[in-house]
Amino acid sequence: MTSLLAIELRKLVPYRTFWAILAVYAALMVLIVYFGSTVTINGQNAGASFYQFPEFWSKLTYIASYFNLLLGILVIISVTDEYAFRTLRQQVIDGYSRANVVQAKYSVVLLLGAACAVFVFLLGLFFGSAYGEAGKASNMFTGAPAVVYYFLQAVGYMSLAMVFGFWIKKSGPAIIAFLLYSKVIEPIIQYNVPDALDQYFPMKTFSALTPMPSKELFEIVTGASESLSMPGAAAQTVLYVTLFCFISYWLLRSRDL
Amino acid sequence: MRHLFQDSLNLANVLDINGLSKRYGKVQALNQLSIKVPEGSIYGLLGPNGSGKTTTLGIVLDVINPSAGTFTWFEQPLSKSTKRRIGALLETPNFYPYLSGAQNLRITADVKRVDHGQIAKTLDMVGLSARQQDKFKGYSLGMKQRLAIGAALLGNPDVLVLDEPTNGLDPEGIAEVRQLILSIAQQGKTILLASHLLDEVEKVCTHMAVLRNGHLKAEGPVSSLMVANDQVFISGGADVDQLLRLAQSLPFVTEAHARTGQVQLVLTPGTDSADLNRAFFAQGIALGQLTVKKKSLESQFLEIIKADSAS
Repeated sequence: MTSLLAIELRKLVPYRTFWAILAVYAALMVLIVYFGSTVTINGQNAGASFYQFPEFWSKLTYIASYFNLLLGILVIISVTDEYAFRTLRQQVIDGYSRANVVQAKYSVVLLLGAACAVFVFLLGLFFGSAYGEAGKASNMFTGAPAVVYYFLQAVGYMSLAMVFGFWIKKSGPAIIAFLLYSKVIEPIIQYNVPDALDQYFPMKTFSALTPMPSKELFEIVTGASESLSMPGAAAQTVLYVTLFCFISYWLLRSRDL
Repeated sequence: MRHLFQDSLNLANVLDINGLSKRYGKVQALNQLSIKVPEGSIYGLLGPNGSGKTTTLGIVLDVINPSAGTFTWFEQPLSKSTKRRIGALLETPNFYPYLSGAQNLRITADVKRVDHGQIAKTLDMVGLSARQQDKFKGYSLGMKQRLAIGAALLGNPDVLVLDEPTNGLDPEGIAEVRQLILSIAQQGKTILLASHLLDEVEKVCTHMAVLRNGHLKAEGPVSSLMVANDQVFISGGADVDQLLRLAQSLPFVTEAHARTGQVQLVLTPGTDSADLNRAFFAQGIALGQLTVKKKSLESQFLEIIKADSAS
């Protein structure tokens, strides 16, 4: 799989679109984390408490979870480009199996997930130690495993995006379908289905990996919403990612390229 | 001469297609196609657009799923190792437009697991060394096509599969590509070539199959397909009616028609024009003129097509 990843990197590293989307991701993350401190809650400036370890980690990953859509779009472009340029077809002719095609894209998903998790981790270290209240640095890594959950979440989102790419083949419609599903269709279904059931849906599973900070407070207002524990959601995410890889493979297998 | 020699030795088939069919909804794109591509041949798959050429190549190259039928490469089912012995260009040159020619070939080489050392030589062979650092999207159609042929040649495959390799090229580009194909064939490689241009198949190929509406209409060595239908024109020595009557009585004449001042004949395969002359002489007629006209592939092709629409 590393040689497949190396080939994928030959395609992506010189690709401007790839860096443009990653730059937008990084810039938005930095901006929001930087201005996060100016948020006022109940008339009080959040200020330094915003950057306070260990809670800062869950705030950070919760913010990062919103930008998974960008990563999904990146993966969709990387898949649909292969159809647009007919390079997928050529690579299968030249020696790839259909499983190799999925493995290659999945290796990109893992790499992007890892890169973003490392980025979020470094962001946390920097802002937490620079702006957080001093003297509590011993708590620094207590909440850090949140970043691992974030990694899983990003991989989950991108794997679903990969399915949309292989299924729809064209970048525009695939991105729209992916956004519609994740932001409109599944939320509507969730709304009409009891929590006991919808907690197993992909989007809800993924979002359970980066729960909203001080969710308890929020639920006093909106009413409790049942969702999986983080370890439970993690196990389920692994299952979903496996399923999405198989669906991608099945789509490639059953249709002409 | 190489292919004739190999025919007589009955060498292995590089590709053996057996009863291949493909249906797209209501359209039967390919119907029970069976052909054999002998080792060392330049095999032309000839037919008008939509006759099933690309479908056939797509199936044997693993990108289209057949509805029925089987095929083997080198007498084995298709696998990663057989794929490595095949270099192919299907329909259009397929590359990343934002990468340079050399960058694109590096990806091809990695996919084929070929050493990058071959890239410079390949670029040189297809005449793109000077433009290798330029982006693919800036290439002319001819350059794109040559890059695709170069990519197909990477890894020194035993078989080259080329789908309409001169499509959209200017006359100079066409001549270059044909020259390239012939020089590759001289290295002992088998070439499977799909084309809707009769002229191309006639100039380049040793064997051919004619496809129409997904049906195989004719198959065999180009030379035998052409010899089988040679036309002979005779005149002089007697009047046209007498020549016609005598010709029709000969066992090896399959067709005879009176034309202005001469008689047009078709002989059974294997018959020599000398046999014809001898037969007339035996009847006391010394022919004034006897000309053999090899029918062009084009008129044969049109005949095959016509025979199909008449039936």
